[in-house]
Amino acid sequence: MKKLLALIFTIAMAGLLLSACGGSDDPAPAAGGDAVAQANELTVWSWDPAFNMFAMDVAAEIFARSNPGFVLNNVEMPWDDIDRLITTIGISGEYHLLPDIMLIQDQAIEVNVLMFPNLFTDLTGSGINFAEFAPGKTDFSVVGGRNFAVPFDNGVTITAYRVDLLAEAGLTVDDFTDITWDQAIALGRQVLEVTGMPLFSTYGVGASFMDVMVKSAGTSLFDANGQPNFVNNPAFREAVDRFIEMVDAGVMLLPGDWSDYIGTLAAHDVVGTLAGCWILGTIQDVGPEGVWAVTNIPRLNIPGGTNYSSWGGSSWVVSSNANVDLAVRFLNYTFAGSTELFDIILPAAGALSTWAPAAASTIYQEPQPFFGGQTVFADIIGFAQNIPDFVGGIHHYTAMDQIDIALGNIINLGMSIEDALAEAETAVRFEMGH
Amino acid sequence: MGHRKFFKLGLTQKQSLIGWAFLSVAAALIIWMNFYPMARGFWFSLQSGVGAQMQFAGLFNYSRLMEDPQFRQTIGNTFLYLVIQVPVMIILALILATMLNDKSLKFRGFFRTAIFLPCAVGLVAYSLVFRQMFAVSGIVNTIAMGIGIMETPFNWFGNAWSARLIIILGLLWRWTGFNMIFYLAGLQNVDRALYEAARIDGANAFQQFWKITIPVLKPIILLTAIMSTNGTLQLFDESFNLTGGGPGITSRSMSHHIFTAAFQGIPQIGYASAMSFVILIFVATLAFIQIKIGDKR
Repeated sequence: MKKLLALIFTIAMAGLLLSACGGSDDPAPAAGGDAVAQANELTVWSWDPAFNMFAMDVAAEIFARSNPGFVLNNVEMPWDDIDRLITTIGISGEYHLLPDIMLIQDQAIEVNVLMFPNLFTDLTGSGINFAEFAPGKTDFSVVGGRNFAVPFDNGVTITAYRVDLLAEAGLTVDDFTDITWDQAIALGRQVLEVTGMPLFSTYGVGASFMDVMVKSAGTSLFDANGQPNFVNNPAFREAVDRFIEMVDAGVMLLPGDWSDYIGTLAAHDVVGTLAGCWILGTIQDVGPEGVWAVTNIPRLNIPGGTNYSSWGGSSWVVSSNANVDLAVRFLNYTFAGSTELFDIILPAAGALSTWAPAAASTIYQEPQPFFGGQTVFADIIGFAQNIPDFVGGIHHYTAMDQIDIALGNIINLGMSIEDALAEAETAVRFEMGH
Repeated sequence: MGHRKFFKLGLTQKQSLIGWAFLSVAAALIIWMNFYPMARGFWFSLQSGVGAQMQFAGLFNYSRLMEDPQFRQTIGNTFLYLVIQVPVMIILALILATMLNDKSLKFRGFFRTAIFLPCAVGLVAYSLVFRQMFAVSGIVNTIAMGIGIMETPFNWFGNAWSARLIIILGLLWRWTGFNMIFYLAGLQNVDRALYEAARIDGANAFQQFWKITIPVLKPIILLTAIMSTNGTLQLFDESFNLTGGGPGITSRSMSHHIFTAAFQGIPQIGYASAMSFVILIFVATLAFIQIKIGDKR
């Protein structure tokens, strides 16, 4: 009898284990769009509690006023995780794990739409008026004439300088406005000599920083046939040369990872910084008030070089697993329809919209006391209009990964720039040949 | 009673039936969690394409392997870790096990626990701690400058050889105690009379170690060597979290490279699966050689 019990017990356990691990019928806790989810609830993935998650919360509050009982499940998910989950879910076909809405880096929209045609909901004809967004922004989310995302923020690149430190070197922020990188490096040396501090810092070996330099001239890393073009690309070479010159001169500090970079701002180790305008939140945190000024970025000294660029804007996509009707109504009411939303999140989080009606808001024209009365947001909107068109194409991230390796080879291993770029170009060509 | 017939089976049959019942659960789980993904992985490795649009491509991914200089470099890196770390670790673990097997040693339990403990630490957690220790403003540079070995801080992760050295140090720290426990367990089965007899015959400590300890532990050394080889060839966490594979890709491991191919840029699942099968072949070959060399009875 005991043995029979043991046998039954074993089989029962096995059954339990298998069904518990099987999981294909159970909705994952983060998934939102399953039939079991409440009709008035949306699950959203985004990554920054002080920025895009905050914006989502404000949007939910505004939406809930006219939709009583609306619940937002605002999940924090780092971009790298979202990116990998999209890949994993896309390849395995387990779409039921997707949330209703995800925030996605602009550069990643086209490639994922092409790779996983059934992952996102086509928002063309959903009632959202995409014509009200800046065309340079929607370029990223229109694939084959169809709209796949509602734009969120604008990654306009800015530089912010400590005017008190510049003054020690006899300089003002005007000396850093509308200049070339050659001039910036010369001024950086001057500042370094007087204050002992580097002009800029960035994370890793500076691949993202390099990306911004390249975009500012609208330079493509690929030739007309779609092949990588690193070696015989004067604009790209100019960017690499100037960046390496800055590192060698001590004008550019490379402290390590992202948090080390933020650390250099918090510890006041640098005179300025170059980043997307979302850095304004951090700058207001580290202070001190009244000594920071914002201007445009240096330009590459080549034909087509501009003082304007973009650092990682992002957009909201609706997954194919969503409560599509509710998700579209929500986005249309808030990020594509509420000036009130942008009036709150702009000063609080530096979330600069690309939605035209929001730009008309008077809040953009207000002088910001923290920045010594500068009308920072109006200035940034001015920058935004001058960013050259740049669509990196679906192999953009592959190119950036190899540029990251190439910069490491040059900066840390002393490889010549020619060799490192040739190697990177070969590697990208190899990866594209799958 | 319906179950009567069941109990008509002989005792041995019943026992073996119950044995199979237990076994079938484990076997089913292994087939489902290990063999099925492996078969799927092999099927993936024969396909090519972007994202969900995969097409059968035969051995295309395997022929691509031959032309990938970055994969070659990561194979080199991984085998470098293997040939340095595994022998050093096994020798260290043997010495430590012999020392801690000495009955006259005080606080033996404490030392055993302390040396074993690192392998209970999470891989990511210890990688991040090592990363902090060797950071430019980290404790290693601070101490070295404090006692005057170095004048300026050294960028440990900015040099290919120091980055690799840190990975090897991390591996040694984490896994030596783990292997030591196996040897300690093995040594408990050794008759102390053997050592006494050797001592009476005038054998010194090294001779006792070489002529008694090593031969007795040989099967266990073989087991740990295979496990360590297997583990090191699949090295991922240290490469990914500790050095980020850098500078360049000079400290990137094979598994890290596979991860990059599968999840960064355009996902190349087919190619990544093909690379995984190369690791499988390496592990199987090395294990086979080790068994052949070790098993000379």
